[in-house]
Amino acid sequence: MKISFRIWVLIIALLLSLIAIRPSFESGVIVTSVDLDSPFYQQGLKSGEIIKSINGQEITSKEDYSNVLGGLFNNGEEKRVDLLTKTNEYTALINDTPQITVDNVPSSRIKTGLDLRGGARALVQPDIEITDAQLSDLVEVSRNRFNVYGLSDINLRGVTDLSGNKFMMIEIAGATPADLEELISKQGKFEAKIGNETAFVGGDEDIRDVCRNDAKCAAVTSCFPTQEGFGCNFAFTIYLSSEAAERHAAMTKVLSLDPTGQYLSEKLYLYVDEKEVDSLLISASLRGQVTTEISIQGSGSGVTREEALTNAKADMKKLQTILLTGSLPYKLNIVRLDTISPHLGEEFTNSILLAGVASIFLVSVVIFIRYRKFKASLVLLLISFSEILIILGVASFIGWNLDLPSIAGILATIGTGVDQQIVILDEAEKNKHTSIKQRMKQALFVIMSAYMTSVVSLIPLYKAGAGLFKGFALTTIIGITAGVLITRPAFADFVKNMEK
Amino acid sequence: MEQAPKNWYDKHYKLGFIIPVLFLVFSLIYLVIFNINNGDLIYKDVSLTGGTVITVFDSKIDTNALESFLLGKFPDSSLEKLSEISTGEQKGFVIQTTAEVSEIRPVLEDYLKYSLNQDNSSIEFSGSSISTGFYGQLRLAIILAFLFMAIVVFIIFRTFIPSFAVILSAFADIVMTLVVVDLLGMKLSLAGVIAFLMLIGYSVDTDILLTTRLLKNREGTVNERIYGAFKTGTTMTLTAIVAVGTSLVVIYNVSEVLRQIFSIILIGLLFDIVNTWLTNASILKWYVDSKGGSI
Repeated sequence: MKISFRIWVLIIALLLSLIAIRPSFESGVIVTSVDLDSPFYQQGLKSGEIIKSINGQEITSKEDYSNVLGGLFNNGEEKRVDLLTKTNEYTALINDTPQITVDNVPSSRIKTGLDLRGGARALVQPDIEITDAQLSDLVEVSRNRFNVYGLSDINLRGVTDLSGNKFMMIEIAGATPADLEELISKQGKFEAKIGNETAFVGGDEDIRDVCRNDAKCAAVTSCFPTQEGFGCNFAFTIYLSSEAAERHAAMTKVLSLDPTGQYLSEKLYLYVDEKEVDSLLISASLRGQVTTEISIQGSGSGVTREEALTNAKADMKKLQTILLTGSLPYKLNIVRLDTISPHLGEEFTNSILLAGVASIFLVSVVIFIRYRKFKASLVLLLISFSEILIILGVASFIGWNLDLPSIAGILATIGTGVDQQIVILDEAEKNKHTSIKQRMKQALFVIMSAYMTSVVSLIPLYKAGAGLFKGFALTTIIGITAGVLITRPAFADFVKNMEK
Repeated sequence: MEQAPKNWYDKHYKLGFIIPVLFLVFSLIYLVIFNINNGDLIYKDVSLTGGTVITVFDSKIDTNALESFLLGKFPDSSLEKLSEISTGEQKGFVIQTTAEVSEIRPVLEDYLKYSLNQDNSSIEFSGSSISTGFYGQLRLAIILAFLFMAIVVFIIFRTFIPSFAVILSAFADIVMTLVVVDLLGMKLSLAGVIAFLMLIGYSVDTDILLTTRLLKNREGTVNERIYGAFKTGTTMTLTAIVAVGTSLVVIYNVSEVLRQIFSIILIGLLFDIVNTWLTNASILKWYVDSKGGSI
């Protein structure tokens, strides 16, 4: 058989797709994020590295990773951890699990969407109309907040829908933090007031730094039984900018002492989103003093001591995050929130694969019965599979996450693809008054026309619904474009070869 | 033998136009009445009206008892069972309600006697204004898609009647499918609405084939050309029906979203056979014959 130019194009496209998908058989776990405070970060561990073993124990999956580390840090003692990655070795002495998130090494570069992989997706709308610039500010502030909070495997972006509404889309892969809703929508307006006057607010204008993850200046200080169970106090130091410190000093200067003589007559009140969260006594010695270090205190409660401790730690982390990142300029409403179990995705993926394979098989049976041509039917099937491969290749290349709508798009593409190949086959079969070249030309005209109508009908879907269905339009457009440019012409040449 | 069916077709092909058009008129009347009674052209599920969908993986719970319990507390809720494809074993259930997550979740957790987390469940919530907003946008997207398609068809064929026939046939597919979906009482989700968009692409394919074969080709008589296109077109539609039907069977109890998409396309494909080979073909034959059979 002569391999024509168009068939070569198909072969090259398939090879390029395979390279883009890059199947991998690597074992180990891949680092998805390293906390800035992790000792391994300081040693240069970066996300994307593949961990092969920990303390000599081989790691092949996420489960291995958590089993090995879980076994090490069950009593709070300091332990030596040797991490062996594909390219490097790291060692650290730590008393808690290293602040690293990992995932199984992906078997290819095909990425699946949250609805298949599990995770959370939220669509958030500000309560006022905002401009594009404000939207990108919002995304930046929120990203910063998530990072400070310790979530970095997160995808944030601004989206606009068909009616011009602006949203922020937040996607978090894998496990979802329990307080996600609060974290997303909390405006996080922090104010410290003395009397009715604001001494300083959250954000980097007034607060230079916040002590975190350092037991010397941020810790749960005490736990005690209460009427409902237990309570735990926490305290951490913040470092004020000199302007804020001077403002604070000017305000305390005019205050008198309280009856005990130990403290000032007014307290420092802490407000988050206009709600008082705590009040602190100001030591008498601080009156009129310009001090940049202030200790912020708070508490958490729970039925058990354990629970109180966990809550105190969580509250401290939230407060630290707010103080460090400042407030969002407006209130946010969560208009859509999906938390998807990874099990649902597995189930879907398996059924979709089964549906795809079963339908392609049955379609090929139909084609074979109709044409009684084994070779042509086989080529038709191969072309269908190569279209799927090209779609997956392009999707991997542009880093598109394949979600359920994208997969529905792939199924739709196979359907139209088979249809168009039938047009070619029939055109070749027809009474042969005109040359095969002429007939192929006509078949490609039909295909091109159908292509144009499909593409234009998909374009509105790009923006409708804040882009939630973009995947469908995208995979279909990739598929049918690859169809008219690559696979259909190649198929026509295959058929021409067979007719000769 | 060869001549007989063609003569019959020549005599009666206009019926092939009248019957579907009557059908279309009845469908439109039905939809108008439906719209008056229900305030919309379709029944909508919570993804279009706003509400909560909770999927729980629980192979033991008695779903019938749970359903009647829930109906007592949330009258607008509904429950679907999920089961394994091959064995039919229960895998879990899906609850839909217009209530907010914070309202239904505690009630459900109380009944199940365990708390819902990401390992045992998925929770999807959408606010009502956003859901109606998205629905409006998708409707607009379908109308735009249809308009764009119509414009492209006119550009391709450049003659009014054949182009109009293609567009009418696609329109009839959508309208008739809509009627069946309503008659079946299907509550459409966002995905279901998108399925109608997919239908535009599927229905136009065969119409373009027919029109091209008839107008751009001079081989054989008009009837032969129609018959040739019919052979190709029905093979296309048949493979599509086989593919969609197979997928529908496989995912029937797995994903309601995909079940709806495939059901709608399947219904649409069946109507496409009628509308392409009766409606569109009759108009085209009449058009070509009236031009003296020499286009």
